[in-house]
Amino acid sequence: MNGWLWAATAIVAAQLPLLAVAARRPPLEGLIGLEVSGNTSAVALLLLSEGTGREAFADLALAVGLLSFVGALAFLRFLARIG
Amino acid sequence: MTLRDVVTWALVIAAGALEVLACAGVALMRDGLDRLHYSGPTALAGVCACGAILAHGGWSLIGMRAILLALVLLVTTPVLTHATARALHRRSGAP
Repeated sequence: MNGWLWAATAIVAAQLPLLAVAARRPPLEGLIGLEVSGNTSAVALLLLSEGTGREAFADLALAVGLLSFVGALAFLRFLARIG
Repeated sequence: MTLRDVVTWALVIAAGALEVLACAGVALMRDGLDRLHYSGPTALAGVCACGAILAHGGWSLIGMRAILLALVLLVTTPVLTHATARALHRRSGAP
């Protein structure tokens, strides 16, 4: 374990309360947890990539960053439509 | 420990602390708009992580992807925050 991996572990562990927010709060507030979780996961994957020296994790981080944005917008649109 | 190491680990610690702060803020705040305030630091944490990787490894392939991810987070986070705030505002029924 190096410092990069410790930082990534701390960030992943910090996401656990977001799971509770997404599960227990109203849909729009749960969506905020999902948005923050997407950004946080992307940063954790980037640190994991540097810690392990594998570029594939950095590609994954980029994909997570982009797809969490698109996914959150889709959820917002869906929640606005169902009122 | 060189100056480069000091900068690298300071940025890594800043990125981790900002992410933990953002997650704790979202979990602890009571109102939706209050929670939304804490999505901003995640973009800054991405920039800190990108800076740490560039300070540590220079212009590597991972560094290039880190720059791209920092740009993505800097652009998408405010857009998402604004859209979510509009939805929360509409839902509250305020004029």
